[in-house]
Amino acid sequence: MNTASNPQPQVELPYTDTKPVGAADFYFAINATFRFVLQKLGLAGLRRYWTELGTHYFAAVSEGWRRRGLEGVAAYWRAFFAAEPGAEVNVHAGEQTVTLEVKVCPAIRHLRDHGREIVPCFCQHCYFVSEAMAAPAGLTVRIEGGNGSCRQTFARRESRLPPQDLASIKEAAC
Amino acid sequence: MLGVYDFCGHYEWTFAWLHAQGGPNLVRAFWDQAIHMDSQRHACDLILRNGIDGMAQYWGHTLNHEGAGFHTTSTEQVFRIDMQACPSKGFLLRNHLLQYPDYCDHCIGWIGPMMKEAGFVVDHQHNHCGQCWWEFRRALDRTPPSKPGALAGEEDVRLRPGWQPEKQSTDTFRRANNVEEKDSGLNQS
Repeated sequence: MNTASNPQPQVELPYTDTKPVGAADFYFAINATFRFVLQKLGLAGLRRYWTELGTHYFAAVSEGWRRRGLEGVAAYWRAFFAAEPGAEVNVHAGEQTVTLEVKVCPAIRHLRDHGREIVPCFCQHCYFVSEAMAAPAGLTVRIEGGNGSCRQTFARRESRLPPQDLASIKEAAC
Repeated sequence: MLGVYDFCGHYEWTFAWLHAQGGPNLVRAFWDQAIHMDSQRHACDLILRNGIDGMAQYWGHTLNHEGAGFHTTSTEQVFRIDMQACPSKGFLLRNHLLQYPDYCDHCIGWIGPMMKEAGFVVDHQHNHCGQCWWEFRRALDRTPPSKPGALAGEEDVRLRPGWQPEKQSTDTFRRANNVEEKDSGLNQS
């Protein structure tokens, strides 16, 4: 499990903090932000928010992926999940793909443990944010599952994976 | 995936994004509706139910969890927070993240309306350098904010070397309940 395998997650992350893992209650704010944007700007607005966040806020990550390719993708996600409280994720790095086997999604678990109403399309954010991060690096992502566990596959764009089927990303629920 | 390790980074980015979509009113609605009424409803529940004791319970938990350098003072009449090292603003400063012109406003943006609902008013100053102080009193209590050191002794952030209102851009709120009640440039200490 990556939660214990990387004692210095910040070395692969673009931003550093003084504490080793984030505060789980911030998942409440992430979920509430999605709900707010959905209510105010609709589903298209929410997807635009995710895409622009991936493109702009995560530009430094994209640049790392562009320079290092799939090895950089694997290193980033190992460090990322090591810093997320309660995550249970295996990162498999292959020649052609990097696969995240998310056994326990820390966000869904925390929201569920605290009885929070989860925005049904919550899990789609992983696709829209990650695809926007991956595209400038010549990469793409496909996601299957959701609602607490999923599989995320990163590959080079030229591998011509079938388009993401959003129906294969489950709706989230308490 | 959006994570919580760098939450303050994408949270701050989101303020600027919302501002671009709908101006300051959309940002203020976000702080009130998404943060006060939704994300932080556990804080609201505690403070509405238990008043000052609820504030001590909420901030004791959440600031420890976020790794803050802070001190709280509680009496029957007032709850005071001295934030000596804000973990949230500190994260942004350390990582040179600046998308929204006044990140610090988000706190009163959600805390102010919550306190109004609970029957409290807010005296507050922040210096945009990771230090601030807060005093919460019942709305009928006309007591002015305490003088430096009077409530929190040497823990009062206004007595710390980092608090230099004459050199910093300090924002002041007096008996406020929302971000529009800011007295910018009134550098009372």
